[in-house]
Amino acid sequence: MADHSCVHEHDVVAAVLSHRWDRASDELTQHAADCEVCRDVVAVARLLSADQEHARYEVHVPAAGQVWWRAAVRARLEAAHAVARPLTWLHGIAGACAVGVACAMIGMAWPSLRELASWFTFEALGADARMADVAAFVTAAMQRSLPLAFVVAACLVLAPVALYFVLTDD
Amino acid sequence: MREFALTEMERAGAFEDAERTFQMTEEAFRVFYEQTARPIWMYLARTTGDDRLADDLLQETYYRFLRARTAFESDDHRRHYLFRIATNLVRDQWRRARTDAVELGEADVPELGADDTLGDRALGRIDLTRALEQLKPRERSLLWLAYAQGFSHEEIASQLGLRTGSLKALLFRARRRLISVLGDRYRSGGRRG
Repeated sequence: MADHSCVHEHDVVAAVLSHRWDRASDELTQHAADCEVCRDVVAVARLLSADQEHARYEVHVPAAGQVWWRAAVRARLEAAHAVARPLTWLHGIAGACAVGVACAMIGMAWPSLRELASWFTFEALGADARMADVAAFVTAAMQRSLPLAFVVAACLVLAPVALYFVLTDD
Repeated sequence: MREFALTEMERAGAFEDAERTFQMTEEAFRVFYEQTARPIWMYLARTTGDDRLADDLLQETYYRFLRARTAFESDDHRRHYLFRIATNLVRDQWRRARTDAVELGEADVPELGADDTLGDRALGRIDLTRALEQLKPRERSLLWLAYAQGFSHEEIASQLGLRTGSLKALLFRARRRLISVLGDRYRSGGRRG
């Protein structure tokens, strides 16, 4: 480790960075001349500190007010995002609940609808055999189309929710 | 994610909110910024090798600094914290850049310091810029923090998440590499930029 650093390294760097190297003690400059680590440190520190010095005069950074202003606006935007995030979640949960309720209602009402269709077929239209055939077909179709009804109901509920999110994005 | 746009009134409100949200007043920030912005910008520019990126990272550095909830004991503490934020941002950039990095072959590396008659400051800086570009990003950070900012080994180690012993070895290698890239005439401090 002794080859990698020197106990005087920090003093050497401090002298160079404070522009005191030319006036540094003879002891330190003599040491730097003899010590390979400090010799390299002086060379590198002089180069980099000169480069750093150049920044004071030639580098143009944004004005403090501008940086402050941008930071303030961004903080405000992030606060607005943070407030809106639970609302977005709430909208999603409400939409999912609506779909669930619609499906449950259709499921509950389905036997009654089927009975109504049967009654209509055999009681109201019982006299007409041809109409009875049609009604029997409709009843059978209704019995088989329960999944389709679920999908249609889900679309009816989800479409306005999706539309809402699309429009608010704009 | 929905886009938000602030109205003029909200923007005005943002200015008032900032005093409450940020950890220092605007006046204190101005003073602190004047003292630190150029060194931070130079650090960012030298370690990323990209002035435009340095502009963006400068804004990000101060934003994160202003939002910090740390209790600062002194201006030195603030300054170190600021450099730590900048170092983290630069490190994030390295990670991002690593995915689409293009390796330069030996043939692409320009020879530096070949003409002794070109001794003015501007050319010295161009040499330094090229030389730093040939170092690893972490080596640039190490050298800059140690020899342009004058941070102690312990401070740099804590900023970069290294052990002090490892840092000394890395710093040694970075120093030797820079000198070898620049050429021996820099060793004696011949070109003082």
